[in-house]
Amino acid sequence: MKIVEFENVHRAYHKGVDVLHGVSFSIEPGQVVGLLGRNGAGKTTLIRIAMGMLEAQRGSARLFGLDPREHPVEVKRRVGYVAEDQILPPFLRVREVIDLHRRLFPTWDNDLARELHARFRLPAEERITRLSKGQARQVALLCAIAHRPELLILDEPAGGLDPAARREFLETSIRLLNESGSTILFSSHYMSDVERVAGRVALIHEGRLLLDQEADALREEHCVALIPHGAGVSRAALQRLAASRGVRERSDALHAVFALSPAEAQALLERELAVRGARCRAVDLEEMFIELVGGQA
Amino acid sequence: MLIVVDAHSGVPVYRQIMDQIRFHIASSLMKPGDELPSTRALSAELGINPMTISKAYSLLEREAVIERRPGRPLVVRAQDADRVRERRLDRLRESLAATVTMVRQLGIDPAEAVQLYADLLTAPEKAATPTDESAPENIPPRPDGVGPSF
Repeated sequence: MKIVEFENVHRAYHKGVDVLHGVSFSIEPGQVVGLLGRNGAGKTTLIRIAMGMLEAQRGSARLFGLDPREHPVEVKRRVGYVAEDQILPPFLRVREVIDLHRRLFPTWDNDLARELHARFRLPAEERITRLSKGQARQVALLCAIAHRPELLILDEPAGGLDPAARREFLETSIRLLNESGSTILFSSHYMSDVERVAGRVALIHEGRLLLDQEADALREEHCVALIPHGAGVSRAALQRLAASRGVRERSDALHAVFALSPAEAQALLERELAVRGARCRAVDLEEMFIELVGGQA
Repeated sequence: MLIVVDAHSGVPVYRQIMDQIRFHIASSLMKPGDELPSTRALSAELGINPMTISKAYSLLEREAVIERRPGRPLVVRAQDADRVRERRLDRLRESLAATVTMVRQLGIDPAEAVQLYADLLTAPEKAATPTDESAPENIPPRPDGVGPSF
């Protein structure tokens, strides 16, 4: 049974302006999927649809085979959710928020909760409204993880956190992976976190799924070629090559993504376009992201 | 086992782990019979997905670099001397590929380049313990591409 299944999800906010335009993908148990995309690409909308907070206008989203809007309680019991813009009850104390969650989740592991509480050094008696953004996020994370959910959904969970807090967050998520075999769907702008933890990446661009691939395969099967303007090659000529996945014009060179190894790309450029002196290299996810969906110079 | 992960490298994490383990074995920092850390322990230590570690371990097992014993942790396999020598040279070959490209781009006479290399090899070694030389930061990075590097 698939843990998450999006089928042809459509959602618009204003008439005629689709935020999501037919997004389909699914997640198997134990997988970790990084949801990437520029600001406004539709990641949060997709996540909210998964959580049942929004409705798909066409298509469907299912968690554990269930419609989250028809079975909100059962779905929410099995999911841990952390979002950057999450609102916790502002006037409750930390310990009261944790108590509240303990009662809501039958699978709550109190030893884990206590351990995380100590690790995050949370002030039990402080009211939520008096906490720093990072601390409030850690309370949310504790509440999301302590019931050992089958599925963790994270929407920019590390946004605004300092590097040490971000690393702690990551390590806690990994621990859940190791101990409970949880499935994780997370969106993040921190590519190094995605590198460390995502087995698969799904790239949303202008409401569509541009890419859905294993992270390692994505990186090993693509390269970025830098072709200086002096080589006299046009953007159009590069785009016409079958292996081209995108071309960006920058001030001193054209940047092209190819579905080839660096050596193959260099050979192709020499053979088809008589280009020598192109620099072709394997890149990390951050560079790949920028080259695929970044703007022109 | 000292493994360092670079999340910004052009080389995927699982491959970095494989490279470093192979290098530790080739430089005798890890010896046949040495146990590898569990997937769980290493994933927690490095802050990476345990599946990435599993993948690296599986591939090394397939290469007969490490082996599984029933009910026991993975261990470094006894290495055939010829294969060890072959692998060391493979590693060196990879590392030298970038240098060869540079020699060509700079238009240096190959004979001069070879002489320079010979001189560097025979120069007195700086005092360093074997452990220092095997530190992950000192492992020559796998070249990430081709073409002009500057």
